[in-house]
Amino acid sequence: MKDLILRSRYTLLVVTLIVYMGVLVAEGMITGREARVIKFENPYFDFSSTDFEGFRERRNDDEDSRVSFEDSGDV
Amino acid sequence: MDKFAILQFYGLIKREVLEHRNLFIGAPAVVALLLLVATTWAVTQVDESQLAEGLRYVSVLFDGLSPFDMAPFFMLLAVPFYLTLYVCSVIYLINTLYQDRKEMSVLFWQSMPVSNLQTVLSKIVTIVLVAPIFYVLIIFAMYLIAMVWLTILGISNDVDLVGIGYMFLAAIASLVLIYISAFVTSLWLLPSVGWLLLFSAFAKKTPLLWAGGVFILVGFLEDFIFGTQFLANWVASRTSDPNQYLIFEFQSIFERIFNYDTLFGIVVGGILIVGAVFMRRFTD
Amino acid sequence: MSNIVEAKSLRKNYGNFTALDGVDLTIPRGAICGLIGPNGAGKTTTLKALIGLCDVEGELSVAGRDPRIARHKLMEDVCFIADVGILPKWLKVSHVIDYVEAVHPRFDRKKAEKFLSTTDIPANKRIKNLSKGMVTQLHLALVMAIEVQLLVLDEPTLGLDIIYRKEFYDRLLNDFYDGNRTIIISTHQVEEIETLLSHLVFINKGKIVLDSSMSDLPDIYTEVLVDADKVAQADAVGPIYVRELLGKKSYTFEAVPREQLEVLGELHTPSVADLFVAKLKEEKHG
Repeated sequence: MKDLILRSRYTLLVVTLIVYMGVLVAEGMITGREARVIKFENPYFDFSSTDFEGFRERRNDDEDSRVSFEDSGDV
Repeated sequence: MDKFAILQFYGLIKREVLEHRNLFIGAPAVVALLLLVATTWAVTQVDESQLAEGLRYVSVLFDGLSPFDMAPFFMLLAVPFYLTLYVCSVIYLINTLYQDRKEMSVLFWQSMPVSNLQTVLSKIVTIVLVAPIFYVLIIFAMYLIAMVWLTILGISNDVDLVGIGYMFLAAIASLVLIYISAFVTSLWLLPSVGWLLLFSAFAKKTPLLWAGGVFILVGFLEDFIFGTQFLANWVASRTSDPNQYLIFEFQSIFERIFNYDTLFGIVVGGILIVGAVFMRRFTD
Repeated sequence: MSNIVEAKSLRKNYGNFTALDGVDLTIPRGAICGLIGPNGAGKTTTLKALIGLCDVEGELSVAGRDPRIARHKLMEDVCFIADVGILPKWLKVSHVIDYVEAVHPRFDRKKAEKFLSTTDIPANKRIKNLSKGMVTQLHLALVMAIEVQLLVLDEPTLGLDIIYRKEFYDRLLNDFYDGNRTIIISTHQVEEIETLLSHLVFINKGKIVLDSSMSDLPDIYTEVLVDADKVAQADAVGPIYVRELLGKKSYTFEAVPREQLEVLGELHTPSVADLFVAKLKEEKHG
């Protein structure tokens, strides 16, 4: 089997790509992967320079949510 | 790991850095220089008293605050460096297993007792762990120069130097954040790293065209064979938000590394990297 | 194990082109073996197969290992110099030395620097700025500072002028060869190395045409300058090759006892170059 895969650079590439595609398609089927943007929380994009103190208070409260999938987001 | 293996790996990394000085040292140095020149020009357009006012405001802002909390403010300044690192990384990865086959030096490298796995790993470590160090050092030098200038401005305009000192500390703290952010982004982008290395090792010419062309082709193939678009969805969901490529706070590091999508991406990247390691044996 | 190389039925195809067509090769330790053949004969493919740079079918053992399985381990005991300048062009001389020192467990830096001190190679120059002769000098200096069992040289003096060529073989014999190490050299400049060799291998069209130690050659091959009246007799014995020489005919015989040939004319042992031509032409006529 190994001899067949390593016969030439082309067979190796094809096998690697088959495994790559296989894993992604399998994962997609299992998790129901959609083209939904994976969102990471970043409070600094809401930052406004005039509201500095208020911002720091808000940010300290917000420690728990860092990673989320937003339902309204699309690609 | 025995001492010789460590020395060997260090020798491999040293070779990578020496061979690609332009990408790891030259490029960020040019960016730093451009930023300093642009800032110097912008500053000459503004009246000194206005500058001093701005400096006074910033000095009060940073005074007494933890550098680690204030570090994120400097992340935006790092964006041009991140873009440069990203472009240089693509150039490095797509060429690194191709160039030595084109100019025959691969015969020399392969005549040394270094396995294909060590070779490919050394290149990954170089781009993920070592290249950002040089970028951070150059950003540090840039901040140092800026700090000297700001201190002079502060002294001649009676601005509280302690606040400027806190700002500098925050800038230094941001260097750590920049480095970690680069590392975490590399993990996020490990599939791309593996993809570029695979085609760098595979192509007999124009490796970038191969990498791009097959990428598009594979997307179409999936639809054609399975009627699904999971691959395209996966790529789309991983590339459309700039937040995925920057970390702004120390607190988010753990979640950014240990979440399902990053870890799954590492598995996919691993598959492609294994392909690249085996592909390295085809030197003709 | 007394043989450093044992190869059986090596086969390699590049698409439709057959580079190696069932190569059998046995090279004893301590030999200085010349691998001689015309362009395209399979010399480079054979040598690359020995060091694991080329995947071939067949049985292959070099210094006790199969190069296809354990190439990087084999490289601790084997070194390779190719005809093209393969040292990395963008590195400085000192960096290449640093690199070999870091990755090769058997490299002796002091030895390499001692060899280099007898050349004009400056440590700070980039390899691309060195002449071809200097690149070969540098590569040889690096290789000689490594405790290897086998040195594989693929046309190492190709394109070099005579001074570098002579110096290369002088160093190889005087500073490197110690009776235990084995050297395999491929070349088509036969005359240059025939005095060095202990072992001779001819390869043509992917097949081994001759495989013999130099000391056995006179017993097997004889060249006869045949007198005009003995030509028919000589033809009857069955030469492998005939050519005109100084108005007379020179016949080359293989595996024919000398006593039988003495009557035909003046005998001598063919030079490697003449023997090479004879074997090639014999192949042609089948």
